[in-house]
Amino acid sequence: MGPSFTSRTARALAAAVTTGALVALAGCGGGGEAGGGGGTITIGYSGPLSGGAAAYGTNIQDGMQMAVDALNEQGVTVEGGEYTVELAALDDMYQPNTAATNAQRLAEQDDAAVIFVPHSGGIQAAQELNSGRSSFLLGAYSSDPAILATGNPLSMMIPPSFKSYGQPFIEQVKTDGVEKLGLLGTASEYGHSWTGLVTEEWEAQGGEVLTDNSIDYSTVTDFAGPVSQTLSEDPDVIFLGGPSQPTALIIEEARNQGYEGSFLIMDQAKFEEMELFTDPENLNDSVGVMPVKEYEDPGTADLVAAYEELVDGERPATVEVSLHYQSVALVVKAMEVAGTVEDPEAIRGALGDAMGEVDDRFRVSGFPTTITDAGHLQNEDLQIAYRNDDGDYEFIAIENAED
Amino acid sequence: MTLFIQQLFNGLALGGVYCLAAIGLTLVFGVLRIPNLAHGSLYMLGAYMTYFFLTAIGVPYIAAIGMAAIVLAIVGVLLERVVFHPLRNSPHTHHMIAAVGAMFFFQALAQVIWGADFRRMDSPFSESVSIAGAQISWQRIIIIVTAVIVLSLLAWFIKRSIHGQTIEAVEQDRTGASLAGISPNTVSMLTFALAAALATIAAGLVAPINLLSPTMGAALDLKIFAIIILGGLGSIPGAIAGGFLLAMAEVMTSTYVSSAVGEAIAFVVLVLVLAIRPTGLFAKAVQR
Repeated sequence: MGPSFTSRTARALAAAVTTGALVALAGCGGGGEAGGGGGTITIGYSGPLSGGAAAYGTNIQDGMQMAVDALNEQGVTVEGGEYTVELAALDDMYQPNTAATNAQRLAEQDDAAVIFVPHSGGIQAAQELNSGRSSFLLGAYSSDPAILATGNPLSMMIPPSFKSYGQPFIEQVKTDGVEKLGLLGTASEYGHSWTGLVTEEWEAQGGEVLTDNSIDYSTVTDFAGPVSQTLSEDPDVIFLGGPSQPTALIIEEARNQGYEGSFLIMDQAKFEEMELFTDPENLNDSVGVMPVKEYEDPGTADLVAAYEELVDGERPATVEVSLHYQSVALVVKAMEVAGTVEDPEAIRGALGDAMGEVDDRFRVSGFPTTITDAGHLQNEDLQIAYRNDDGDYEFIAIENAED
Repeated sequence: MTLFIQQLFNGLALGGVYCLAAIGLTLVFGVLRIPNLAHGSLYMLGAYMTYFFLTAIGVPYIAAIGMAAIVLAIVGVLLERVVFHPLRNSPHTHHMIAAVGAMFFFQALAQVIWGADFRRMDSPFSESVSIAGAQISWQRIIIIVTAVIVLSLLAWFIKRSIHGQTIEAVEQDRTGASLAGISPNTVSMLTFALAAALATIAAGLVAPINLLSPTMGAALDLKIFAIIILGGLGSIPGAIAGGFLLAMAEVMTSTYVSSAVGEAIAFVVLVLVLAIRPTGLFAKAVQR
């Protein structure tokens, strides 16, 4: 019968659309070829390549891919053998469990000796299996010090710990007569840790902390409400920050509603990205992390220019891009120094020695000068940025917090 | 007092957006009995289409919203024809699975076309006006005014125009309506077109005060489901009242209790309604 036939075809079509959607989703994961055979070094990466945090995950992937391309162009030689570096990327949609599964797969199927994961939940999940049946060095990109507290011997913490920022941030804005701190951070787990840190530190320095108005930046439709509410208590300083773009919007809303005080911006938000989303003048009198382009490392300018070309000037290179760029180069150099592309323990052991030997082009944003026993890559000249009333950045040297 | 006025306007603007988005969802439910989980994705696509017309083609803001609404009306019709129409005789779970599939499909599509990063759409109305000491941006006033105009036009369309009346007829009695010569197919398509267009207007209005991203519809989905359950599934007055009530509850609880409670209020309301009055405020006979 005609109708039943068309209905069946149409149903098949609907099924195809649905399947297509799922495939499209799964397809975002991409993936590299299996390595293993003599001349290939596979660097693994599990990050959010689709879903709400996809922009973050794909930026990181870009940074890593740029390093891989640059390394291949230079040539990589380990123990006399020529190697080609490959990036194998899998999508975890920011899910810890998926990140762990991906890491296992990258280690076993793609023979990746080093795997990067850029979120604290995924890192902690991967730490449970990186020194068991599978063994791999974990490139951990999260400024949450909890990832070192596990005492995992095969982790490498890439960014500075956020604990380093609390005290100097507050010292920068808490001048005479500045008393009240408004809280408008993001309601993620990481945001809560930060809110706790600044609350404690602000009170320790004798200030008053107002109501906690933390909101989930990704689900709030209109920021005007929470902003009005924070301003109603008349704060001198507002702590806020989440992804740069909504952070910029909240800052703009606060300025539009007449707020003239300072902002204390957590490290997830970046000045260079916020400048593109709001009139940069709104950001004056704020303290935050240093923009990549302001670093004076030998490779900074080239990376910033190359990244801009890669993305057609649509967005600036942030530390997510630059820190992964230099970290990939560092681990590959460590393989050269250790004389192995397979043994994660030897590679981890060689990181310290490899630091001095990495080519200048890979030194882009506070290239690490030391690695702590716990596995934290640190640069001794850590700095934060203060954007003053004239819109100029001032840089303040700070100490690395103890692990 | 200033704070109250400030939050009152914020709540009204938010309510306008919520009810424009929720009406489409409730219409689709009323006519087709489908909980369209992909509604938030239509809202998201609507925002991106407005952005496209505004920045790539350069049409003025209001016209861009109008053009995007037309494009999305077509997408809505296609969604009904390609996905839901073939499933009309299948069990209800199939509709839900298909809707989830469509949602993922639209999200992936937006990511492929526009990328995963946030986009900002500038409003031509960036100034604000001072009302009794509160700073209200023109954009929010425009949201409120547009919502009122669109809602009035919609009420006129459903109650007075022949096409609108067919929607109401099918909602009330599908079999009876088809016996009277109303084509359920046409009405289904019309409903989806209208729902997608309304979601687009909501999205186009809210885009300048928020950000565009492929997942922007997901957060809204939960809220508007809470709204239509609060108002009564399938009821248009229910969606309007529910939209404003929920927005006000959200804004005022955040202001006078705490933001954490404010964010949870939609779901507290949802649980209360389901426990005390499962049919919603404006009970509409939900068959089955």
